[in-house]
Amino acid sequence: MKARALVIVLVFSLLAMACADTGREDDGEAQETTTTTTSGEPVRGGTVVAAIDSDPGQLNPAITTSGAVHYASELMFNGLVALSPELEPVPELAESWEVEDDGALYRFQLRDDVTWHDGEPFTSADVKFSFEEVLLEFHSRTKASVGNALESIETPDDHTVEFRFTEPYAPLLQQLDVTEAPIIPRHVYEGTDPQENPANLAPVGTGPFRFVSYDPGQEIVLDANEDYFKEDLPYLDQVVLRVIPEEGNQVIALESGEVDWLFEVPGPDLSRLQESGEFEFIETSVNPGGANCIMTVSFNLDRPIFQSVEVRTALAHALDREQFLSRVQFDQGRVAEAPIHSGIPFGHAEGLNMPTFDRAEAERLLEEAGWVSEDGGTRTAQGVEGVPDGTPLAFEFLSFPTFSQYGELFRAQLAEVGAEVSLQALEPPVFADTVFTQRDFDTNVISYCNGTDPEIGVRRMYISSNIAPIPFSNAAAYRNAEVDRLFDQAITTVDRDDRSAIYEQIQEILVEELPYFWLVETVATRAYTTDCQGFGEAGHFAETAFCEQ
Amino acid sequence: MTARTGPEAPSLDRDVDASARTELPAAGLGAAVGTSRRRVLRRLLRRPAGVVGIVLTGTVVAVGLLAPVLAPFDPFAVVGPSLSPPSGAHPMGTDALGRDLLSGVIFGARTTLVVAGLVGVLVLLIGVVVGTVSSYLGGWADDLLMRLTELFQVLPRFFLAIVVIAFFGAGLGLLVLVLGLTSWALLARVVRSEVLSLKEREFVDAARASGASGARIVVQEILPNALPAGTAFLGLILAQVLLIEASLGFIGLGDPNVVSWGYLASQAQRFLRVAWWMSVFPGLAIAVAVLGLNLLSDAVTDVLGTSR
Amino acid sequence: MTLGYVGWRLLQVVPTAAAILLIGFLLIHLAPGDPVLALAGESGDAEYYAFIGDKFGLDEPLPQQLLTYTGRVLQADLGTSYLQGRPVAEIITERVPATLVLSSTALVLSSVGGVLLGLYVAARPHGVRDTTVSSSVLAVYAAPVFWLGQLAILVLALGTGWFPVQGMRSPGSDAGGLAALYDVARHLALPALVLASQEVAAVYRLTRVGLADELASDHVRTARAKGLSGRRVMLKHALRRPLVPVVTVIGGRAGHLLSGAIVIEVVFGWPGLGRLLLTSLQARDNPVVLGIFLVVAFAVVLANLATDFAYRWLDPRVRYQ
Repeated sequence: MKARALVIVLVFSLLAMACADTGREDDGEAQETTTTTTSGEPVRGGTVVAAIDSDPGQLNPAITTSGAVHYASELMFNGLVALSPELEPVPELAESWEVEDDGALYRFQLRDDVTWHDGEPFTSADVKFSFEEVLLEFHSRTKASVGNALESIETPDDHTVEFRFTEPYAPLLQQLDVTEAPIIPRHVYEGTDPQENPANLAPVGTGPFRFVSYDPGQEIVLDANEDYFKEDLPYLDQVVLRVIPEEGNQVIALESGEVDWLFEVPGPDLSRLQESGEFEFIETSVNPGGANCIMTVSFNLDRPIFQSVEVRTALAHALDREQFLSRVQFDQGRVAEAPIHSGIPFGHAEGLNMPTFDRAEAERLLEEAGWVSEDGGTRTAQGVEGVPDGTPLAFEFLSFPTFSQYGELFRAQLAEVGAEVSLQALEPPVFADTVFTQRDFDTNVISYCNGTDPEIGVRRMYISSNIAPIPFSNAAAYRNAEVDRLFDQAITTVDRDDRSAIYEQIQEILVEELPYFWLVETVATRAYTTDCQGFGEAGHFAETAFCEQ
Repeated sequence: MTARTGPEAPSLDRDVDASARTELPAAGLGAAVGTSRRRVLRRLLRRPAGVVGIVLTGTVVAVGLLAPVLAPFDPFAVVGPSLSPPSGAHPMGTDALGRDLLSGVIFGARTTLVVAGLVGVLVLLIGVVVGTVSSYLGGWADDLLMRLTELFQVLPRFFLAIVVIAFFGAGLGLLVLVLGLTSWALLARVVRSEVLSLKEREFVDAARASGASGARIVVQEILPNALPAGTAFLGLILAQVLLIEASLGFIGLGDPNVVSWGYLASQAQRFLRVAWWMSVFPGLAIAVAVLGLNLLSDAVTDVLGTSR
Repeated sequence: MTLGYVGWRLLQVVPTAAAILLIGFLLIHLAPGDPVLALAGESGDAEYYAFIGDKFGLDEPLPQQLLTYTGRVLQADLGTSYLQGRPVAEIITERVPATLVLSSTALVLSSVGGVLLGLYVAARPHGVRDTTVSSSVLAVYAAPVFWLGQLAILVLALGTGWFPVQGMRSPGSDAGGLAALYDVARHLALPALVLASQEVAAVYRLTRVGLADELASDHVRTARAKGLSGRRVMLKHALRRPLVPVVTVIGGRAGHLLSGAIVIEVVFGWPGLGRLLLTSLQARDNPVVLGIFLVVAFAVVLANLATDFAYRWLDPRVRYQ
């Protein structure tokens, strides 16, 4: 059984693979799905116009994890495998594979009928080149995960590739889709600087659509790849990816018929669009930054105010999470009931004692902790350890600009119990620097994406070896030897039920100590016109789509 | 008067005032020497523009000063249903979180006052000092200061403000500093030309003859007479400052810890199609304040210009 | 306007340009937020950070970086984008036409519109017509430009369906020639109108005041006395001199127009420099931010200089003081 090895390597490699959802500008989606909502006979021809948030700048998905680039370019490329909605690998460039040595050797049989858009045949040399020269150098997630575990890539013949690892490495098949490991052509990139190759602006791929034109800041036009190796696909003649940065404007463009597909409907407009009956929707927890994300408040435990568990519990009681769900998320998601996302059933604990919304209890706890209110205004310290008497209960709250509404509501709700919150919105690079490198913050909200296994996106938040300076890791600076030990134990526990029990134990401790407070599990809603159907959820969304003429 | 467009014209060339740059626009406006303040006010009230300007500006000032009394709610508190259209309980409606927009607009007036006031002080201080020193010293000092003024006049200050605030973080203090430090150039030129024209006049000669020192003449005789024209231009500058503040708020660079009209406008952007009131009322408030300042400044300039 | 004067003014641009370069460079390099972190993304790999820092010369001391940068700028090299790995000059050049089309259209529309409105009211100053036009122009001028844009989208685009809401061209349009021109024009209409409506005020006021002065002047009165018709007098004698400041004020408006264009680009999804600036700021793509800042600032300086020359050329009464 390879589970043990899987876990070891996961830990090793995925700590840093923060799938923190950096809003709408950051990462490519973590999974690729091939769901279709087919309800009619596919029709050939037609154009789909999709809105994307921001100009990609370049179109090579192998050298970046930028969501803008991935949305704009994935239709032109393939991975060795694709992922089903259940996140199981299904054949793409590789038609079959076998795993040997308990997961230390993967042998892929490649299709022999694939050609690049320029007519050159696709071979195992392209795969080896893509990994060795590009993905493991420039694709930050794949570099940090696969790169750290990989020993060598061999190509016994033109249509066989072998990945050999120093130790068993189980998650590989989840990391070979077009998002994590797009394959690019060796004959175009060999001997050049992959970051400055002109093909980055006019890509050559194997994907269902081929490059036609790119107007920076405006649109990318793709035509159907007549020679696509998947039979009958794609149905569409053309896909246009239109840059519309303002989400309100994306909706306006959808309604006026200027675009046919939105990757994410802004909450405020959702119910209006649903009522109009002119659009179809796909709800997915596969967000731009990763799967199974929880909007999470971190308390900086290095700060004296937040060292008291009573204070943290009081603040948690003061937060009305239903209101976050309805007024910030517009009901796209659910209130988080455990530190681990409900999308990971074996990790998610049930029936935890999460603090419920209770202002009276919050005020009682604050009084007890020495934060007293004299005139109903901001509370001040009276005998709080490490805090001079008279210090007001005032602190900062950091977020990405895209999540500023969380801050607005956080401030309003905490003001009701006498805590004064000041907000700061920081762009992702500055946020990462401030929170994780300099650790100069009081509280913040981060979309922590749990991924598909607690080892990927949960562990990184809690283990003490993960405090600074790793971006999107242990923001709270939480140190608990018992939790560290349990996470280590979970790695080596092969049996899934036993592992569940350990995670449950961990979550009980976390809910009691509240280094973080988990607000809501978020989902994104894709929208498209009823004239079209057959869309997938993520980057290859248009591969199987078709429209009425 | 040598200005080619009359005293009114420069008032509308905002960001970079070409006419003020190439020639001395308001030279001699302060010639309203001897015009008593009461007379200026009376003339102001005789003009419709002056009356409207005073009413609009006065309203904004009054609302700003009385904000805590006038506002029905704390502008940051969740007090109603989400996205409720204007109603009796919330005359300007509520935002997505259920905050009262009327209270936001009222407290926004207060922020407007603070921004306009502080930027005004900075601009006045720098503009008057640079303008006076430059015109009084003359020679290379004048040249140097005017080059500096020119630099600040051509510096695209909206771009500069965007870059500074995006890099150093949104905050009211920084905003005031950036706008104050980059908006004084026009005023400096006006003051300089005023002082230059006043320098040659009889009462200054008289003061000089009576043995007063240069600095004393400037402070006691020239500045009080140069200032009215300066304040008229200050109003125009501040009107522009308010628009820049609002635009910065719109592109998401407003201070999130202070209710300002620009901040409200940026909140409205996502809800354009679902909640028109979130965009309309803050936008109107900005327009009212800017219009008031423009009208008032125009009228003052007009009165000073014709009262010779 | 002597050659010496032209030379002297050109020479004056040098310290201005140097100051702009220094201000921009220092601002961006002293700002918090580590560009290496922005570049390296979330990998958290020290080796990768070092690689990136080295690649972009981010490890050198600041004065060294400034020197290198200045040297490059003098050769029209604005460096390489962190994000796109392409020359900044190339990225900026791609976006310049869109911004240029938008702002020059607005410039023309506002100039023509302002003069026409000025003419329209000049015959009867202080009448009902004058009051109506003057106050509406002033009201529009006081409204924030993004707000006008939003109203235009809600009322004109969505209300009538005549105008597209977003972008510069229809999606996937491969039309050429006249059809392409028409397509761009349709997209351009609203943003250019909104931007121009704000700019009308300056031109209108100059024209109106200038005309009023001129109509009262001796040579116009002489022309009238000679029996020339009102319209003839207006076009032939009265309009000429007021047009001088209208023409020359163009350069002075450059900075303001470009500022308005940034906001309008956001509202209408216009793919110009303003949008590039905002996305580059978000990603901390500093070379692009600095590049745009320099390009815009120099453009404004040059526009002002050109205005100055044009003004002196058109109106010899003005002498350099």
